Amino acid sequence: MSSSHFVPAQWLPKTSWITAGLLVPSLLLCSAVAAGPRRQEQHFKVAAHPVITVHNPNGLITVKAWTKSEVLVISTPASDRIEVDAEQMGNRVDVSTRELSDSVAPDDMRADFQINVPEDAELQIHNDAGNVSVANVLGDMNVETVAAGVDLEDAAGYLTVKTVGGSFTCVRCSGRVEASSISGNFRLLDLRSYHVWAQTSSGNILFNGEFLPNGTYSLKNYSGVIEVRFSPGDSFDLSATSLKGKVNNEAKLTPSAHQHHFMPKWGNALFGTFNEGRAKIEMTSFDGTINILKRD
Amino acid sequence: MPEAEAIRLAQQGDAAAFERLYRLHNRRVYSLCLRMVSNTAEAEDLTQEAFLQLFRKIATFRGESAFSTWLHRLAVNVVLMKLRKKSGNESSLEELTEPDEDSGGPRRDFGGPDLRLSGSIDRVNLQRAVDQLPPGYKSVFVLHDVQGYEHNEIAEIMDCSIGNSKSQLHKARMRLRELLHEALRAQAREDRKAASADSGGKD
Amino acid sequence: MATITCREVLAHLEPWMEGERPLDLQAHLRTCAHCSSVVNDLESIHTEASSWSAAEQDAPERVWTSLRAQLEQEGLIRDAIPAHEDAAKAQAPRAGWFSSLFPRLPRPVLAGAYLAALVAVAFALSGPVNKRVNEARWLKGTQISTSPLSAQLDFDEQNSNSYVTRANPAVTASLHQNLALVDKYIALCEKSVNEEPQNEVARDYLYEAYQQKADLLTQMTERGENVQ
Repeated sequence: MSSSHFVPAQWLPKTSWITAGLLVPSLLLCSAVAAGPRRQEQHFKVAAHPVITVHNPNGLITVKAWTKSEVLVISTPASDRIEVDAEQMGNRVDVSTRELSDSVAPDDMRADFQINVPEDAELQIHNDAGNVSVANVLGDMNVETVAAGVDLEDAAGYLTVKTVGGSFTCVRCSGRVEASSISGNFRLLDLRSYHVWAQTSSGNILFNGEFLPNGTYSLKNYSGVIEVRFSPGDSFDLSATSLKGKVNNEAKLTPSAHQHHFMPKWGNALFGTFNEGRAKIEMTSFDGTINILKRD
Repeated sequence: MPEAEAIRLAQQGDAAAFERLYRLHNRRVYSLCLRMVSNTAEAEDLTQEAFLQLFRKIATFRGESAFSTWLHRLAVNVVLMKLRKKSGNESSLEELTEPDEDSGGPRRDFGGPDLRLSGSIDRVNLQRAVDQLPPGYKSVFVLHDVQGYEHNEIAEIMDCSIGNSKSQLHKARMRLRELLHEALRAQAREDRKAASADSGGKD
Repeated sequence: MATITCREVLAHLEPWMEGERPLDLQAHLRTCAHCSSVVNDLESIHTEASSWSAAEQDAPERVWTSLRAQLEQEGLIRDAIPAHEDAAKAQAPRAGWFSSLFPRLPRPVLAGAYLAALVAVAFALSGPVNKRVNEARWLKGTQISTSPLSAQLDFDEQNSNSYVTRANPAVTASLHQNLALVDKYIALCEKSVNEEPQNEVARDYLYEAYQQKADLLTQMTERGENVQ
């Protein structure tokens, strides 16, 4: 016979056991619900070209386009010590995460977001850590992070991305792309952009996209690898300089028609024209490696 | 160079046209930024950022709205972004002293009976109060009362309705009134403290 | 005329301030000290604020100078440059990231960076434009322009170490790691510039590294609070 430190089992009526059996899990469930993440869903009616801003210290932010003239913000704060404010003024929706007291631990300062926007929305996102993903949004975008990675897919417009250490991946994007980082890596894939400006210090840059006629593509780092892939049908004017590193080239270039200001005696430099030289590619590294390779 | 011509040439990248547009509009933009952030260094940075965004996008300007309206919309967005980034616990845009649901007697907090604002409002204390407004209120107040824009222009700049602009302005003024009264009461308390300290010392 | 209550008057203040003057409201304000006090306050606020526009001034000229540099760097504006100026411009340091991060610099660092760029350009333009350029002169010119900036950044970095950041640990770690990385690049660039003073690519990278450091310090400041 089992013993208990409390009321001996044989003294309790059977109904009490049944009640306890139902009550205890219910209490546990209620407390779990009370202490766990509070999912919040907010809808905002908007007109054409709305502006959506998000300021969040840490979390996963996923933005997708949909066909409704509405902005849907689904937020899940990590603790009940922070709160998500989403307010609308005219055609602008501002979303921010704020502390409810001064003693919030850094780990509690986190909220995840799922945001649906019209495809012509303009986005301004600040998220220090976590990740930012945007898909199928065609308006201008400004994304700034410290450690959070940024993933843009099928985006268009004026896209500016700035990170400290977060990586940046841009797939099937068009418009203008400008990205800067200190140690983040950049992967620019299947782009159809007329203007690409990407600068990172210690990160690698991979560009495997189209070189459009009259497009300008400026890729720069301090160390690491800068790599572009080209096809036989591409047409570009190339300038590739690595002060203390190597330049590896698989493109058959003809000498450029115009002069350059950089003196080749400093570092390894390569200038030339591929086919008609319609696009302009500029690759610069301090002591990294520059690769100009054929597409597989 | 007329503005329309400057816009056309700026869209083709003409440097003189850019400068002409800057000279025409920098005063209003800078003043707006200065009123919003009350810091000359930040106002300069924000002014530069607003014009930078303008000139990056000028090729897309098709004349659906007045150029100045478009520029001020960019400037307001730039400033609001900055303010949102700085402030962690800003007030909700809906913060307002609603009238009581009572018989209609005056509220006690609409100014103490002995304190009047008239004569107490000057540039310094009003600017201090404006600094405490939430960004949305501040924008509408500065655009309307300081810079003299009409509500239909503000509606276009802020991408809101005319009714919304009027409502926000009224809320901003009521909030400023509360802030100024609070400041006045605080000053009165300080004066009374100082007076009683003086008389205590003399005894 | 039906009398209205104070509550109704206050609910109609918004249209009153827009110029609507119903007779019953006017009558109430003639007799109610509190409501007329509210109206007087709102009108005083509006009157005072309206007087501010008379004192509006143009932005300082440096705003246009900086903006123009940024527009040129982005290729948004074009000027026809006379041939004799082209060679001199070739020897001036390129802006690179320097201008693109201009708005983000804290004021003291921005002033130092701007001064550094001006001194470097002035030095380059004042020198003789010929193939036999004095290496020592280039080195001295670079040092003149970068020394105050370097000193200011070092000072700001020392102050940043006293900040206890309330940011996420991953964010704090990222900022500090990247600051160490940029410091390393600054040291390597300075070494490179010392070895090859005429190497404008190395100088360009050096200025950009300073710019990155200033930007990082700003971000650390924004996310922390001084414990001193």
